[in-house]
Amino acid sequence: MWRKLFTSVPAFIAPKVPCRSFKISSRAAEKDFFKDLDAQLKAFWDKASKALPGNDWSPIELTPGLPPERADVVIVGGGVVGWSIAYWLKMKARSRDGLRVLVVEKDSTYSQASTVLSCGGIRQQFSLKENIQLSLFSAHFMKNINNYLGVINEDPVDLQFNHSGYLFLASEKSAHIMEENYNTQRCLGAKVALLSPSQLKERFPWMNTEGVALASLGLENEGWFDPWSLLNAFRRKAVSMGVYECFGEVTAFKCAADLAITPDGDVVNIKRIKYVNVQMPNSLEYQPVECTIVINAAGANSGKIASMLGIGLDPKESVFNAALPVEPRKRFVYVVHCPDGPGLDTPFLIDYTGVYCRREGLGGNYITGMSPEETEEPDISNLDVDHEFFQEKVWHRLAHRVPAFEQLKVSSAWAGFYDYNTFDQNGIVGLHPLVNNMYFATGFSGHGLQQSPAVGLAVAELILDGSYKTIDLRAFDLKRILLQEPIMESNIV
Amino acid sequence: MLKILAPTIMLFPTIWLTPRKWLWTTTTAQSLFIAFISLTWLKWTSEAGWTCSNPYLATDPLSTPLLVLTCWLLPLMILASQNHMNPEPINRQRSYITLLALLQTFLIMAFGATEILMFYIMFEATLIPTLIIITRWGNQVERLNAGTYFLFYTLAGSLPLLIALLTLQTTSGTLSMLILQYPESSQLDSWGNTLWWAGCLIAFLVKMPLYGVHLWLPKAHVEAPVAGSMVLAAVLLKLGGYGMMRVMVMLNPPPQELTYPFIILALWGIIMTGSICLRQTDLKLLIAYSSVSHMGLVAAGILTQTSWGFSGAIILMIAHGLVSSALFCLANSAYERTHSRTMMLARGLQAIFPLAATWWFIANLANLALPPLPNLMGELMIIVTMFNWSPWTILLTGLGTLITAGYSLYMFLMSQRGQTPNHIMGLQPYHTREHLLMVLHLAPVILMVVKPELMLGWCY
Repeated sequence: MWRKLFTSVPAFIAPKVPCRSFKISSRAAEKDFFKDLDAQLKAFWDKASKALPGNDWSPIELTPGLPPERADVVIVGGGVVGWSIAYWLKMKARSRDGLRVLVVEKDSTYSQASTVLSCGGIRQQFSLKENIQLSLFSAHFMKNINNYLGVINEDPVDLQFNHSGYLFLASEKSAHIMEENYNTQRCLGAKVALLSPSQLKERFPWMNTEGVALASLGLENEGWFDPWSLLNAFRRKAVSMGVYECFGEVTAFKCAADLAITPDGDVVNIKRIKYVNVQMPNSLEYQPVECTIVINAAGANSGKIASMLGIGLDPKESVFNAALPVEPRKRFVYVVHCPDGPGLDTPFLIDYTGVYCRREGLGGNYITGMSPEETEEPDISNLDVDHEFFQEKVWHRLAHRVPAFEQLKVSSAWAGFYDYNTFDQNGIVGLHPLVNNMYFATGFSGHGLQQSPAVGLAVAELILDGSYKTIDLRAFDLKRILLQEPIMESNIV
Repeated sequence: MLKILAPTIMLFPTIWLTPRKWLWTTTTAQSLFIAFISLTWLKWTSEAGWTCSNPYLATDPLSTPLLVLTCWLLPLMILASQNHMNPEPINRQRSYITLLALLQTFLIMAFGATEILMFYIMFEATLIPTLIIITRWGNQVERLNAGTYFLFYTLAGSLPLLIALLTLQTTSGTLSMLILQYPESSQLDSWGNTLWWAGCLIAFLVKMPLYGVHLWLPKAHVEAPVAGSMVLAAVLLKLGGYGMMRVMVMLNPPPQELTYPFIILALWGIIMTGSICLRQTDLKLLIAYSSVSHMGLVAAGILTQTSWGFSGAIILMIAHGLVSSALFCLANSAYERTHSRTMMLARGLQAIFPLAATWWFIANLANLALPPLPNLMGELMIIVTMFNWSPWTILLTGLGTLITAGYSLYMFLMSQRGQTPNHIMGLQPYHTREHLLMVLHLAPVILMVVKPELMLGWCY
């Protein structure tokens, strides 16, 4: 409508000075003017809509991504264990804002996180009852994952769970251990079968059964899945339930300390964490987060977090001040291509020499690797892959067991860290006697991913109910480290 | 009146001139001294209705209990804030106590005012120190939102009140409460008069708060520091009740169709907010919603304009003020130790803090209106007057009493009973200061059992 008004201007209003005529004569100029007007109106509307409710503009410029100033539970570590704990805490809290949970993760790209670099296997073939129960629960969780982690109006979770099972091979020396473990596993409900070498040959003709005395195959609830999908499923569900997420590094804890005298007569400091300092990535800015409980689920970096609190820095002070024995250990995974390799029903094969191998995808690719000797641990300062290790240590053992693998090509490889518990290679779950409000959920030494749903539930029960209700993990408590009583697994890879 | 007001104003030089080491001691001592002197007001010698008067300020049986409550609360607020203000620089501590003393001055002048316009100005003036306390010393980012809600809800309600008061001044020539009490019944025959009637009341209903306009209260109570929560719950809510009672004398007789919606909203609010309390996980939010619930009963009682209603309202206001403030202090002690307001994380405290568990017990019993405490007396009087107004209200008030008992017990059992979790084993024991604070809150409640006529207002 305004176009008609502006197109004809009376002559007496038009200025007499030589300048561009007021009268809009050409089509192009007219279009310019109105496009400007439209652009101006649009800009005005954008600015005005910031004043409407529902917009997050605020006059105070806050750094984006800053964590809240206060949280009830701060979970240090955004791997699968951390997110599992966050999910279960929110599930057990009856109302939406009942518990404020914050998950702090150092690396938003997850480039060095153990979760995503894992092979993704899950098995119940352990010797410790707690490990078997944890994996059984986790397998049940993952089979019904959409009942637990399904979000309305979002795509269902697909873990790509291959139910092919694990196949452990035992030599003469260790066959009796395998039989004992088999009995424990069967008692607890795991579906495992023992195979003799001839049965093995019949079932898996591609295998060279020389030196194998006994084999144990998982029939159900064992196999491998995609760890990234599990992590994202936990994260999506937890965020939908109101968990706060922050990408930043925990650099310090502010504590209040009280002196106490131990039964041995030593004087120790009992600390209570008041604030967690979270430093923003690539910045000096940090936010002290006031908190009630801190959960250390930092995986390979758990030892570093624990040392920030002074745990274990002065072991002579008291027997209670033992360090957290978790350190990163590098493990290599090699992707090999072998067109004549074992077929689609290949289980996750673990040889008594320590070498392991599983099928990856449907194109004749396999994933393989081996745990190095204690004395030959690779350097943990970076995640570079040592191909010599494959050539010298892994290949010949692999080829001995599976003759088809004599002809293969290594297509790629990667390395990841185990949060290795140097004490007894089993998880550490519970409170530290010297720090009143820090819970640990770390040190799973390569089994964290497969046990994460159950561990999350156990930690949530410990915090909110005061004791374990579903799976009893009192054996994993920290005091076994203080009392120097390790609980060892009989077989480990 | 000036014998209380002058020492309160002299608190300002005390705050700014005392050396750092003696700041909290002297301010607590001076405010306690003022509180004890204010108790002399309770001795009612005059027959004429108003005493201790000068041209601007006077006390009468309605304002005396509230004035004593206000003066009593200042030392308690200073005692409660001592710990969390400790790490701050000295001038900030002085500013904080200055704000509390300023609030106190405005409140004394508000409750003692004889002219309604002076009451209105002091009513608005109390908003400013409270806003500063909430937004500057609150704990979380949400305090800015809370301050905004608090300020604008109250302002939006009170601007119509200003217009109504100015209208009243032009029509009746005076705004003095001493004169306006002589009846000139308001004929509500036109829309203008109806709006005037509503305008007189809305400000106080928002402040009380009435259920529909109560949203500012949970936010403000939760985000305020402990002294802010105490003064909000104990005194500022009562400003609304007091204002309503003062203004009701000239809104006589109440037309049924105008009081009806407000009374029903108030009664429904008791049930609704009580139900919210039953499923609340945040301790301070629970206490805030329970304040809304109790004040709904007070609002309903005042709106009936009967003598039992007024007496019940006053006594419930005083008792609720002390008990609610006590609950906020207890919640704050738990918060200072565990840094969490969530009841799920700070539970089973009786095993580690047994004496504090006794205070929790008494405060919760008072909250659920246990006889013979004055909370019950007030509630009973209001319930009876509501029954007289309409027999059907007994359903709502009875259900409300049941729900109140439910959530008070829930609060006690969740926070005190049960197994103490492992992560709160190493907490600091309660200080004598905190025990003293609780005794000073709960002893007056228990003493009121033996002489309730101090608090019953005109109609005793």
